[in-house]
Amino acid sequence: MITILNREIPNQLEELTIEQFEVITEINNNQELDPIDKHLQVFAYLGIPESEFWDYDVADFVGMVKEFNSAERKEYPVVEELEIEGYIYKAQMKLTVRDTKMIEKVALRKEKGYISEMLAIMFKREDLTPTEHYTDAHIKQKAKLIRKLNAAISIPYMMFIAQKIGQQANDQATEAVEPSNA
Amino acid sequence: MIKLPKQWSQVTLEQFIEFSQIDREQGAYHYNSEALSILSDEPIDVIEDLDVDELAELVNESRWCTSEPSKRYKHEVLGLTLKPFSKLTLYEYIDLDYFFSNNYITNLDKVCAILYRQTKVNEWGDEIMEPYDFDCNIRAEKFHDLPITDVYGIIHEFLKFRDNFLKTYENLFTGDLDTPLTDEEKANMDPEEIKEIEKEQTQVKWSWEQTIYGLTNGDITKSDKIGVLPLVYVFNILSMKKELDI
Repeated sequence: MITILNREIPNQLEELTIEQFEVITEINNNQELDPIDKHLQVFAYLGIPESEFWDYDVADFVGMVKEFNSAERKEYPVVEELEIEGYIYKAQMKLTVRDTKMIEKVALRKEKGYISEMLAIMFKREDLTPTEHYTDAHIKQKAKLIRKLNAAISIPYMMFIAQKIGQQANDQATEAVEPSNA
Repeated sequence: MIKLPKQWSQVTLEQFIEFSQIDREQGAYHYNSEALSILSDEPIDVIEDLDVDELAELVNESRWCTSEPSKRYKHEVLGLTLKPFSKLTLYEYIDLDYFFSNNYITNLDKVCAILYRQTKVNEWGDEIMEPYDFDCNIRAEKFHDLPITDVYGIIHEFLKFRDNFLKTYENLFTGDLDTPLTDEEKANMDPEEIKEIEKEQTQVKWSWEQTIYGLTNGDITKSDKIGVLPLVYVFNILSMKKELDI
């Protein structure tokens, strides 16, 4: 936690829920916002209204931003099992083609909550069949539950997905024969 | 064990058509898994159960399919003979033109059905081709198991022929008016201009029908008689009519 303008706000991943992490990531990825606006929105989301910064000098604001972003870099442990509402969900650092296709679909849609959806694809309930697991409604519902968990859980999985997909994108820029019109 | 073809000659026309219909918008993994399922003839579930690293290996093995098949083609397939383009009839050309304008890869089986024909020797000892009075959509299935390399080249050959044909008779064809005017374009034109262009576009939409209607002097019962005439002859007559304004 960090104190800014006498308010305590989370700035470490372990202090954020996945949902908060998703919102902050979305604000940071918004190309239409400049860095100051991005941070004003992040602070507002975490509980410090924008108006409270109005009387501050830009240099002071930059100092607060630096402090907010000074979270130490660390390795997050891989959590392979989750218990949510009485059900056990298990994941491995392994991706099947079906998982990756679904993750790719989530990434292409760029919808809010994509981190929890990607985790929902990777974490599977052992008592369900693959068909049940990959049902859209099941994934959405599970993502809703996962959203409330600690953001640190998501980091090793996000890194694994990024590394796998990135590596394969470099290995094979697949282009096939184009269907054409004349 | 997933078995993949090693070259285009091991891929059938049907597989090639399916391959070309994979939706690219859904992402690389969707594309690659669908492509491998088609090429290996394995159900998509089998491919989807693979680990992504295994998929990557298979994709690497299939890199040959990122290049176009050979532009060669056979003059005879399944006991059928390729009809010389110069001998096409008006109806044959109209259908080919439609299939090529629409999508010449997904329609390649129908294109083959029109171009590869049965022949026989007539009473004078000349080889003649069967008339075009069959349904090319039904006949198309016959070509599905052919290696794509047997027929792929006819696409380029026909496109070349069509280009030459359009150049030869360019005075009979209007410009590219297929695309409707956008609201933005309309905003920059006066109403008369818009009306004129839209009228021309309607004429383009019905151009083949209009051509036949004109040649039969409005007697549509004669359409089939015009349709079986050689394309070149029909267009020579149209050119003559235009030049002499008759």
